[in-house]
Amino acid sequence: MLILTRKIDEEIIIDSNIRIKILSSSDGQVKVGLTAPPEVEILRAEVYEKIKENTLMASVNSKNKLKGISVLKINKISK
Amino acid sequence: MKINTHQFGEIEFEEENIIAFDHGLPGFEKMKRYLLIRTEDELFHWLNSVEDPELCFPLVGARIIDENYPEIEGHEAFGIVTLNEDPAKTTINLKAPVYIDQNKKTGFQKIMEDDSYSINYNLFVENKNADTN
Repeated sequence: MLILTRKIDEEIIIDSNIRIKILSSSDGQVKVGLTAPPEVEILRAEVYEKIKENTLMASVNSKNKLKGISVLKINKISK
Repeated sequence: MKINTHQFGEIEFEEENIIAFDHGLPGFEKMKRYLLIRTEDELFHWLNSVEDPELCFPLVGARIIDENYPEIEGHEAFGIVTLNEDPAKTTINLKAPVYIDQNKKTGFQKIMEDDSYSINYNLFVENKNADTN
C-alpha cells in the first residue's frame, strides 16, 4: 500500500483524472472531496462489500426450488 | 453453442443471445457473459453465466415492485433475488439493480449511494385473502 501524508486542502491525483482532496479532519473523522469522470464508480467500501455478500448469497440460494410462492403476494412499494 | 446449467439442464443458444457485462458483478468480476432466461413462470428471469454454467441469479423486474423505480433509457431494471427455503423470506436487492439493454445485449449492476432502496427488501407479503380473491 502506498502511504502519503497530506494537509487540509491538499490533493492527490490518480491517473490524471481522479482527484482526492482532504477537506477537514476532526474527532477521528476525515472529510474528503472526490472528483472523477462520470463513468468512474465511487463507493464506500463497506457498501460494496455488502452488495458483494448479497450477490454471493443469491448465487448460492439460486439452487433452491421455487415452492409455495404462488400463494404469496408481491410486496409492492406504493407511494 | 451449448451449456449444461444447474437450473435448466442443457440449453442451446446463439452467440447473439449473450448479454455482455463488461465489469461483471460484484464478487464475480471475471464472469462477463450471461444468458437472460425466461421460463413459464411469469415473475422470474434467470441470469445464467455462460463461462460458469452453474452460476445463476434469479431476477425480478424492479418496476413490478415499484412503478417509480429509476429508469435508464433503453434498459430494463431488475433486482437480484435471494431465494429462501421459506418462500415468505425471499428478498430482492433494490439498492444495486441490474440494468439490461436487451437490444444492445449489454448489462451492468449499479450501486445506489443513497439509502432510498433496501438491499434485502421482502419480495412477498403473505396473501391473507388468497381464498377470497
